[in-house]
Amino acid sequence: MSGPVVAVKALHKTFQLTGPWPWSPARDVRAVRGVDFEVRPGEVVALVGQSGSGKTTVSRIILGLEQPSAGEIWLEGQRWDTLSEAQRRSKRIRYQYVPQDAMGALDPQQTALEHVTETLRVLGGCDRAEAVEKGMDMLKRLGIDHRRDALPREMSGGEQRRVTLARVLALEPALVVADEPTSGLDPDRRESVLQALIGNLPEGAACVLVTHDMSEARAWCDRVFAMLAGRVIEEVALSKATPAHPYARILFDPWSGPLPRQALAEEGCPFRPDCSLAEGAVASKCGTLVPELVSLESPEHRVACHALAEAAAPAVGGD
Amino acid sequence: MSDTPLVRLRDLTIAAPDRALIEGVDLDVMPGRVTALIGPSGSGKSLTARSVMCVLDVDPGIQRGSLHLPAFDPKIDWFEGVCGGGVRAQKALLRRTRHLRGAYFTYSPQSASSALNPGRTIGRQLQLAVMRRKQPPADISKEVVGVLAEVGLGPEVMRSIPGELSGGMCQRAALAIAVAPQPALVIADEPETGLDPVLRRAVVELLVRVCRENGAGLLLISHNHDTVERIADTVVSLPGPEGQA
Repeated sequence: MSGPVVAVKALHKTFQLTGPWPWSPARDVRAVRGVDFEVRPGEVVALVGQSGSGKTTVSRIILGLEQPSAGEIWLEGQRWDTLSEAQRRSKRIRYQYVPQDAMGALDPQQTALEHVTETLRVLGGCDRAEAVEKGMDMLKRLGIDHRRDALPREMSGGEQRRVTLARVLALEPALVVADEPTSGLDPDRRESVLQALIGNLPEGAACVLVTHDMSEARAWCDRVFAMLAGRVIEEVALSKATPAHPYARILFDPWSGPLPRQALAEEGCPFRPDCSLAEGAVASKCGTLVPELVSLESPEHRVACHALAEAAAPAVGGD
Repeated sequence: MSDTPLVRLRDLTIAAPDRALIEGVDLDVMPGRVTALIGPSGSGKSLTARSVMCVLDVDPGIQRGSLHLPAFDPKIDWFEGVCGGGVRAQKALLRRTRHLRGAYFTYSPQSASSALNPGRTIGRQLQLAVMRRKQPPADISKEVVGVLAEVGLGPEVMRSIPGELSGGMCQRAALAIAVAPQPALVIADEPETGLDPVLRRAVVELLVRVCRENGAGLLLISHNHDTVERIADTVVSLPGPEGQA
């Protein structure tokens, strides 16, 4: 298949949050404010950003776990966000989610093998013998076949993650969305969990990895989308280029310079109050217009920054 | 700043029934300095920190070693009579050192949510922490505002409960509670866990700045080598459970 596995178009999401008390006033939170991107077959992309930047919300909307306020989600060429839950059910087997909280996602009364076989029988349509055979094969590939009879509480954090991965990968999905699958693990275990996930993706399957560990994004992902205040501010293939957006540079190397001190701007570029490039003639533009993603030296390196776009304009045209 | 060590831990060896958990760990923490404790998972970083706080319930537990808190009392070896004494001796030690925790040393856990009382305002929690000082100030409310300002929070936060604050603000509030009693030593157990890179640097810098300004020592447990290299004055590295570093 040549088309993208995932196409996100002009995605918006606004949540209405109530306060902690019954009498607290409700307020609108614009979690996602116009996100567009595509993920091609066989590609691993990362959504990175600070807490609250909207990366988890985007990942949940992709799989239909949240409804968008506006915009479109296309999975394997088919509009996904307008389908009813009944219509999605038969297709869900191809689009799988790895949650952040592995312990919360596992049934405390089921063994490692039972988690995988149940998924294969209910979603994968396998009979018992086939489910056990495929389940054991997947546990073996992830290196936890010796823990087949262990309950979640008897497993380490890394083993629990592997069971959630085995359950997902056994279905041979076309898309895996993993929301911080290594959160709370030690660095030595993080590496092996990502190896288990990405190394065992079916041929041609795409993966969207939500993370705020930049070394993971650098080591494992073909492309990275850096998010700020509900928007993608940079798309970059880290093997070919380094981040250019001033905020993305801080995100990838927070010790490289001063940290942002000001609140994000509501109008114009959200990073403007702390941006070293928002000076001179471009400053008024930064204060009034939200920057669009513009290609820099290659079509795959796009940055939402007025100053960088103007600097690149004479040599390379914007898109 | 005084040169008297805040903590002098020597040859700490702790055993579980089937294996040694920690063997021969030496550690010093000086006033205004950062001592980092690093090592892979299962190497005993948190157990070492708990030993410094005298909070242990391991059977058979401490086999040998000594713990001096010279800035408090240079003569007392707090582990005297505890080595080989099992859980009963560790419980007696816990009772004997009750007055030290929250005053001579404070503890900042991994997760801010577990450090904060969810049903109590930040102001009230800080008041209780300030009242643990050797000499509590006359105007506690004013002091609470001052401590909040130190960690970059405004006075309006006093009226908030933890659920009304963002993750970063909760981290700062937890840090304020750790430094409010003006302890000689702050023990921070992986304060960066679960934070994004920008907030991670902000929290660590804040922790180090507040400790240095107050002349407090900082025992930082971390597995982030980048952070440790940048801020630690002394690094204590524990080998892995099977001996691998």
